[in-house]
Amino acid sequence: MELVEKMLSGSDLSLARLITLVEREAAEVPRIMSLIYPHLGNAYLVGVTGPPGGGKSTLVDRLTAVMRAKGFSVGIIAADPTSPFSGGAVLGDRIRMQQHYLDKGVFIRSMATRGSAGGLPRAARGVIKLLDAYGKDFVVVETVGVGQTELDIMEATDTTVVVLVPEAGDTIQTMKAGLLEIADIFVVNKADREGADYLAVELEQMLRMSPKDSGWQPPILTTQAIHDIGIQELYQEIERHRDVLQETGQLSLKRQEQRKREFIQNIEQGIRATILKLAEKDGQLVSFLERVEKGELDPYSASMEILSNRTLLQTWLSELEKEG
Amino acid sequence: MFEKERIEEIERRRKEWEEGVLKRTLEKFGMKVSPNRVYTPADVKDFDFLEKVGFPGEYPFTTSEYPSNLPALRIRGGVSAVLVRAARYSGYGAPEDTRDYYNHMREALGRRGGPNIAFDLPTQCGYDSDDLVARGEVGKVGVTVDTLRDFEVIYEAFVGDNDLDKIASNWTINAPCNIILAMYLALAEKRGIPIDRLRGTPQNDILKEFVARGTYIFPARPSMRMIRDTITYCTEHMPLMNSISICGYHMREAGAIPIQMVAFTLCNAMAYVQLGVDAGLDVDTFMRRFTFLVWSTGMDFFKEIARARAARRIWAKIMRERFGAEDPRSWMLRGAGGVGVPTHTLTLQRPLNNVTRNVIIGIGNALSGGVPTGGVPYDEPLGLGHSLEAEQLSIDAGRILQFEAKLGDVIDPLAGSYYVEHLTDRAEEEIWDIIQRIDAMGGAVAAIESGYMQREIARGAYEYQRQVEMGERVIVGVNRFTGEQELEVLTHRLVEHPYDPKKRAEAEERQLKNLAQVKGARDNGQVQATLKRLKEEAGDEKANLIPPILEAVKAYASVGEMCNVLREVFGEYQAYNVTA
Amino acid sequence: MTEEKRIRMLMAKPGLDGHDRGARVLTLGLRDEGMEVIYTGLRQSPDKIAQAAIQEDVDVVGMSCLSGAHNYLFPAVLEKLRESGAEDVLVIGGGIIPKEDIPFLQEKGVSAVFGPGTPIKEIADYIRENVKRKA
Repeated sequence: MELVEKMLSGSDLSLARLITLVEREAAEVPRIMSLIYPHLGNAYLVGVTGPPGGGKSTLVDRLTAVMRAKGFSVGIIAADPTSPFSGGAVLGDRIRMQQHYLDKGVFIRSMATRGSAGGLPRAARGVIKLLDAYGKDFVVVETVGVGQTELDIMEATDTTVVVLVPEAGDTIQTMKAGLLEIADIFVVNKADREGADYLAVELEQMLRMSPKDSGWQPPILTTQAIHDIGIQELYQEIERHRDVLQETGQLSLKRQEQRKREFIQNIEQGIRATILKLAEKDGQLVSFLERVEKGELDPYSASMEILSNRTLLQTWLSELEKEG
Repeated sequence: MFEKERIEEIERRRKEWEEGVLKRTLEKFGMKVSPNRVYTPADVKDFDFLEKVGFPGEYPFTTSEYPSNLPALRIRGGVSAVLVRAARYSGYGAPEDTRDYYNHMREALGRRGGPNIAFDLPTQCGYDSDDLVARGEVGKVGVTVDTLRDFEVIYEAFVGDNDLDKIASNWTINAPCNIILAMYLALAEKRGIPIDRLRGTPQNDILKEFVARGTYIFPARPSMRMIRDTITYCTEHMPLMNSISICGYHMREAGAIPIQMVAFTLCNAMAYVQLGVDAGLDVDTFMRRFTFLVWSTGMDFFKEIARARAARRIWAKIMRERFGAEDPRSWMLRGAGGVGVPTHTLTLQRPLNNVTRNVIIGIGNALSGGVPTGGVPYDEPLGLGHSLEAEQLSIDAGRILQFEAKLGDVIDPLAGSYYVEHLTDRAEEEIWDIIQRIDAMGGAVAAIESGYMQREIARGAYEYQRQVEMGERVIVGVNRFTGEQELEVLTHRLVEHPYDPKKRAEAEERQLKNLAQVKGARDNGQVQATLKRLKEEAGDEKANLIPPILEAVKAYASVGEMCNVLREVFGEYQAYNVTA
Repeated sequence: MTEEKRIRMLMAKPGLDGHDRGARVLTLGLRDEGMEVIYTGLRQSPDKIAQAAIQEDVDVVGMSCLSGAHNYLFPAVLEKLRESGAEDVLVIGGGIIPKEDIPFLQEKGVSAVFGPGTPIKEIADYIRENVKRKA
């Protein structure tokens, strides 16, 4: 595929257009992914998440500056929510990253969450891969999130940074469990504001009460991104986390886990799509469906009946082959 | 003011009236709700004249800033002073072009006094004409100033009877204000004029630049420090120089609703007052040199009047109670005037209607403690320059309001109106609510750093547009009553525009030569030395930067060079995502 | 299962002009028309605008300028887009643009110019009808 070749040889424009295809979940996506597969695995993936108004974009901007100063190239995915009313979105994180606009070593892409349930757009995983294949040393993913839905970003990245502000004290009470689960590093940004120390202490107590068994205790950093304070330290903690993940073999385990999950997910999606298609035309399936819908047959017995009906499955598999 | 029993009686009678004669009339016309409302003393129960209104030029200043509007209404050459001063905001092209323009205005049109200089965007944003980002912008929206040389050229139009000690200068400059001020100082020094005789007003209101107008350079805190330097320096060395002109106008034009305009302006103003207080200055001394720019106004006649009255009352209270100012002159919104000037209210569609709008706002000004004005020429939105007819209409409208309608005869004639006093109280409450909210955020600077004001304004602008497009806000000839009499308004007899379009187009090229010449002729070693000192002093938060800036200016260092040195120390302001 | 085509737009303020009421209003308005709008903020050089347009792979670039520098700035952005091979992006302009400048801008590739007060819907419809890269 020409676009992929051009992208691999360094074309920003081709990369951008491939991202659009991935974002649109176009038919070419499996092919694109298989073509870039040999080029994957070099980028280190950093997730930055937290409630709105925490200064995440500025933090990402400054963190990127530190990475660049160390000679690393950076890909940034900045996600903003899609309006539930119109389906449109304002993507405004870029505005905070102006110092990198003309730097060839930085590629910034804004994404709307579109159909995703949480802060991470469904297509973000694919876009991360494209940026990885493009040769970025770091891929930083910024999402808005306040809790459980952010498991997505934790799964999709290697180090997850949770950014909070002093005013967030109350929110934390309600999202405790989720936070503890996803954060590898806590950042209390806008630390010049009242309540920053209090928040840091509160987080510390929370962590002490439920220590992680992974050999990594999430550090709590205070930053003032807008004044460039605490960013070097953040970068160092990200590096330290990466070292720990590598030394303990957790990084390769995590990547294995990711690959497995994607493999299963892809098959799942394929089968699901086929079944949905069959549900429109396959006579037997349609009749089952109708009876289930009317409540004449319960969904459990119906699915058991189908899964144990060999001839039915055989015909579907041959359908699948034809489709594939 | 009213006895309790009397109020109860009024309320009782009102009920009778509503259920009697009003109800019958409404039924007759098949209506449930009356399109009109009526106000009574019951709407201003605790009205107290001395507490709520007072006398003109006295606490709480609800009526007007001054005991009399006489100075503003004084006739000069057939027009009131306020009209002579109008339309002087000018400047374009290279410094030579603007100098020639000022000479022309004096010789051909008899304009007197000092200039009100408009600077081009590169100057306002701290870039030299030869900077890459200045391309296409040099000399466009104002005159370009790179070095002291350019200031010297502009002010060649002001010598002799119009020398610096005899005129007052206005500069619409904010982020690099202290550089422009230093150029004026250097110029005075060269001409042997003592700086304590210099009069003028720089705009110097950086906070509203972050919120609405956009010509910022440095982050909020170092920007505020530069304003502290102006306030301190002016207070100590230039008793006749205003240190700041605080603006609400631009925020309204950008989308703020009326009470937001007032609340944001007063919060910004408090932040500036605090600078002087924190610098250890006597509030009554430095407040004498604070001014306010006129408001921007809309068409909601009585509400705008109430808003203007409420603003004066709140500010007087803030200065007296919060800052402990004792001199009554410190309590007033010096220069803010009445409801203000319309611009976002004028329409491109059926431009003749702007005459009516202007007159209404002129009346609003006269009724809110200001002076009757004729507004902006009606053909302004056409963007073709002004016709003779439009200019005459605008000047004569003010005259008719003043001389025929005698609107200048009484100050604040609506004082005591149940309706207007009720509206004024309500506006005051709403404005205080916003002020308290911003107080809770830590004041104007914090509210701007977090993007609060910016977001509110973006929302306001969008809401306004939505109301217009949905027809909820009626604008005659724009979204209602359209298509009936669409006249093409012809404006043939244009007032000859004194700006030469050819000169303007070639200004960039000429200015590049001017700048190159200055850079070639000056002592570059000295420039570097002064810039180095500026940088060192910038790193010391306590240092006043005007002296080192003055040294650099005198060495012919450029605006861009000085700003770049300061950028290295201060960093640059990063805009907030206002649409989130 | 393919995600339907969503129009992506870059709203840009080229040059030093700080009047962004129009750009802000349109950003929100086009979001409500179902578009994904990336707002660049003030003071964008033509280079920066083109680079952002390319990375974001937008269908439309909208530029607003009220300072009179449009005759330099708009064509400069188009030039940069062409250099990068993104000539298939629809470019529209707005702000205070004198009528007599419009033919020049159109010749340079600005496909339409919208003055103050244009209804948002009108601009949205124009974009939908004229986007060059149909899915």
